[in-house]
Amino acid sequence: MPLAHTATSVPVTIDDEKCIADKGCTVCVDVCPLDVLRIADLADGSKTAYMKYDECWYCQPCEADCPTGAVTVTIPYLLK
Amino acid sequence: MTALFEEFSDIDELAEGLEDDAPGGRIMAVIDLADSADPAAIPYLAKAITDEDAGVRKQAAQALTDFDGPATAAALVGALGDGDAAVREAAAISLTELKDPAAGDAILPALSSGDEFTLTSALAGIKELRRSEAMTPASAALTHMASSVRIAAVGVIGWLQDETALDALIQAASDAEAQVRRAALLALGFSQSEAANAALSAGLGDSDWQVREAAAETLAKSGGPGSVAPLITALADDYWQVRLKAVRSLGKLGAREAAMQIGPMMELPIPNLRKECAAVLGELAVPETRQFLDPFSDDSDPDVRKNVRWALDRIGAD
Repeated sequence: MPLAHTATSVPVTIDDEKCIADKGCTVCVDVCPLDVLRIADLADGSKTAYMKYDECWYCQPCEADCPTGAVTVTIPYLLK
Repeated sequence: MTALFEEFSDIDELAEGLEDDAPGGRIMAVIDLADSADPAAIPYLAKAITDEDAGVRKQAAQALTDFDGPATAAALVGALGDGDAAVREAAAISLTELKDPAAGDAILPALSSGDEFTLTSALAGIKELRRSEAMTPASAALTHMASSVRIAAVGVIGWLQDETALDALIQAASDAEAQVRRAALLALGFSQSEAANAALSAGLGDSDWQVREAAAETLAKSGGPGSVAPLITALADDYWQVRLKAVRSLGKLGAREAAMQIGPMMELPIPNLRKECAAVLGELAVPETRQFLDPFSDDSDPDVRKNVRWALDRIGAD
């Protein structure tokens, strides 16, 4: 049976294909009230946003304000 | 040392990003132009709203929310016919944020559009600009087959607050669609005329509770002595929301003759209603209503207790 000591998924996921962080976009990072998102440098030299800290409140401005629709916030079933 | 404030870039320099081959680069240029808050960015954003990429066009439509004036309005009106629904929606929302009456020049021609979405958006956009030229097309739009258009048209007429539009609003108060009737009754608040009062009093008997609530609420602003009897009847409405507005309006109208009907409503189990009744009984200050207030000076709801004690103080000792 798999142990759940380490989270295997996070509520905020970014579609790297759509993310335009390498163009200088930091909208999701800027709007997050809990400051849990960051911009990562990928191995191929490009950049993408990612969720660094698992403290999401599911408030969703990151998803709403993303200019390319790259951000998805998955709300846990029990909160829906 | 890190600069505390970003240096403002030249608008032309920021606009160079609009030539980026990648849509993402052009989107960033649009965001930077919007962040500049410089009206010199408007022509560039007006160009970006016709970009080949829908994402750029949508971002430009959203960015124009931060600007005003005829050029902004013209760009947004043009985007109302965009092939992408998200762009159209963004343009329609940004249009409603315009505050400069001069922006109406670009919106007025759209009021004769045959397209339902364009017409609704143009009416919603020109509403707060209070352009008197919008009265005629708005009055004509009251007979449009789409209820969204009729609701937007009522909004325009309501904001113009022109007595010449009274007949049109009164007619809209008997529209087939409840939301049109509701909007029309709310818009009638500016008029003290007997015809408006009669339409509002008739609205208290509407089949839709939200329409009745709107009528009860608006009578506080424009009601006269003739409104008191229909409002007293509305105290027995099936919906507490209507009863609450009726109580509030009777208080605003200073209808002391309603006090003995409002008093027994203190027994009702809805705290919001008891709170309002207590406040209005205090405003009316009819000594005979002490009997209804006394048992509730220790009500379980703190807001009700507060209002009851205030009302008893106002009415005075026996």
